[in-house]
Amino acid sequence: MSNTPILAIGFPAILASSVHDIKNSLTTLRVLIGQLENSHQDPKPTEFKQLEFETNRMNNSLMQLLTLYKIDLSQFNLAIDEHSAADIVEDVVAQQSTLLSLGNIQLITQCDDDLLCYCDNTLISNALCTLVNNAQRYCKSKILLSVSKEDDYIVFCIEDDGKGYPENLMPSEHQQLPQIDLANGNTGLGLFFTETIAQLHVKGPNSGFITTDNHSQLGGARFKLYLP
Amino acid sequence: MAINLASKKILVVDDQAIMRETFKHILGSFGARFIVEAESGISAITAMRIDRFDIVLCDYNLLRGKNGQQVLEEAKYLKLLPVHAIFIMVTCEQSQQMVLSAIDNKPDDYLIKPFNPQQLLSRIQRCHARKQYLAGIENEMDNGNLYQAIQCCKQLLQQNDKKMRLPLLKLHAELALKVGDFKTAEAIYQDILEERELPWARLGLGSTAFFLGYYDQAVKTFQALIEQHPVMMEAYDWLVKTYELMGNDEHAVSSLNSAVTLSPLSILRQKKLALLAERTENLPVAKKAYTATIKLGKNSIHRSSSDYSGLANIYLKSNAANEALKILYELNQQFRDDPEAKLRSALLEIEIHQAKGNKTMAQQAYGKAFKLNEQFDKQLSKELRLEMAKTFYLNGNNGICDEILNDLIKTNIDDNLFIKNIVTLCDTIIGENYAETLLQQIKKELVDINNKGVRLFQEGNIKGALAVFEQAIIKIPDNQTIILNMIKIIIHDIKTSKPDPEKIMSAQSYINKAIQVGISHNQISGLQTELNTIEYKTHP
Repeated sequence: MSNTPILAIGFPAILASSVHDIKNSLTTLRVLIGQLENSHQDPKPTEFKQLEFETNRMNNSLMQLLTLYKIDLSQFNLAIDEHSAADIVEDVVAQQSTLLSLGNIQLITQCDDDLLCYCDNTLISNALCTLVNNAQRYCKSKILLSVSKEDDYIVFCIEDDGKGYPENLMPSEHQQLPQIDLANGNTGLGLFFTETIAQLHVKGPNSGFITTDNHSQLGGARFKLYLP
Repeated sequence: MAINLASKKILVVDDQAIMRETFKHILGSFGARFIVEAESGISAITAMRIDRFDIVLCDYNLLRGKNGQQVLEEAKYLKLLPVHAIFIMVTCEQSQQMVLSAIDNKPDDYLIKPFNPQQLLSRIQRCHARKQYLAGIENEMDNGNLYQAIQCCKQLLQQNDKKMRLPLLKLHAELALKVGDFKTAEAIYQDILEERELPWARLGLGSTAFFLGYYDQAVKTFQALIEQHPVMMEAYDWLVKTYELMGNDEHAVSSLNSAVTLSPLSILRQKKLALLAERTENLPVAKKAYTATIKLGKNSIHRSSSDYSGLANIYLKSNAANEALKILYELNQQFRDDPEAKLRSALLEIEIHQAKGNKTMAQQAYGKAFKLNEQFDKQLSKELRLEMAKTFYLNGNNGICDEILNDLIKTNIDDNLFIKNIVTLCDTIIGENYAETLLQQIKKELVDINNKGVRLFQEGNIKGALAVFEQAIIKIPDNQTIILNMIKIIIHDIKTSKPDPEKIMSAQSYINKAIQVGISHNQISGLQTELNTIEYKTHP
């Protein structure tokens, strides 16, 4: 049997175009939820915050799919510039603000005001959002988002007080990077995405990378994003 | 820096009522009181004509009519936005931004949908803080005082705000390029690139090479940038410009064609492609680009009757005279009260009817063109007037042709590219030496005026000298020598008489004009320093 594609347009292109449509619908859905929420008297049902959280997750995944699609097509370039790390942290906190306002999870941030990093800030803050989002699902009550400088790298670190990463999301003896097994249903898309864009950040011989382990100072999982 | 939304006039542009409601609700919850909504680009422009807005939140994908970029372009073009205004473009995804990136006119920031209240507020606050920080520079720039803007930049840099260092250096380099101080710009970009490979700094270095005339080096830089950043539209724009100046129109067309494929919605790129393709006789590309330009023009401030006449001309060249006439009909429908449009149409009609062998109709069209030219003459654009001169000559009306050419050369004496066009045209239709002789005459006239003014000045007759140059500027408005002499005399006048704020202002406005007409940094910067010293002595 030959492998001639049956579809006139390649499947990735169809998928990308559908993702666009879904994203637009999602935006309208979010707005509708917002309106519905406004029509309720205080105290408002907490389900609204949950709804926002879930739509956020969907939106982040779709955004990542689109970006990966474009990277694959070589129709993408990073918009790298110098950005304040504190601004990126602020963006992440702003995106998480609704759910955090529920009050059962605490997001602590540590970042020096004059820490600067070279990156595509929109992509990086989006990636961090997804990972903080994940942490919210698996932590007990606390997440720590911190930024520091290690040698030639700026390091964004997300730690929580949950049970920690399962084994397949941690580096094995043979492999430095966490194994992302898309086929097995355990998506790890957020990690895969972050790793992909980290690698696109290059300075001289150094390029960005991620690490995962369970050495969180809060007792749970620890994720680190290194940018040169 | 907190922003008080209660005192701000805010415009929300979105075609979906529900989105506008959401914006209003969020902004209202942060204290905003004055919020105007617009559901289309046209109503947004109308709203901006009525109120001076501090903040505009504009969706890019407006369903009908203008898109967000076209709204921004029109608002900037018509100067409907105050200098301090914040314009935020709301888009659906990040990669859109890059492809959107118009030739100029960028929004202050983008906001990606969906967003929550905190994200919207933080975006507005950050823009506001940045605008406030740069307000001094932007105000000077808005008034055309580029040297003062550079001064402001340097002062802010001395405050050593780490976060603002790069944005300030970027602005400093851009301003240096604008005043023609290429060496400073080059040094800034090189310093930045030594720290870090940043695409905008690399682009800046390439454009510096372009201005310094190192075209091969510029081409290499832009090509490498495109290689690494396949959707960096500005790199394409610069590459095209460089090829054009190198006289390599074929390469310019092919690069611009790639850019247009990536970013088909930019009218200025399509228009440029149409013109370049026409020049290289690449009729299929020209036809496609003109058609796209006309379509985009329906909602754009950049629409012009020349898009229609351009397309009609392509049809004429492709031996499709009837198609060409159809386009001209549409042109006349679209631009009813526009004399330039009528004239363009008439000029082409002459050629089309001649091509069809219809002498009477051609003669009628010529009559129309003749009348229109008499009526509007100097109000017409220089390119169109040159066309007119050609038509007059070809129809045996040498006297008027002479008059027009004379005036065109006088008013554009320092515009090398345009003078070259005049010379080429004269060489082909009238004969060699014709334009040369004309040029020599006019240059002599200029020298005489200058000599007269300078002589009066040396004799101590400042008033007389000023009068000579003032007269000359009315007749030959963009001549560099006259403008430079004018500035020198005014400065001398201020120094030797009582300081007069009006004279200082007049000198400054001539300096700004000098930058505009491209007088080199070496010649102006000294005069600017002198004027600053005088100003400082008057108001220390």
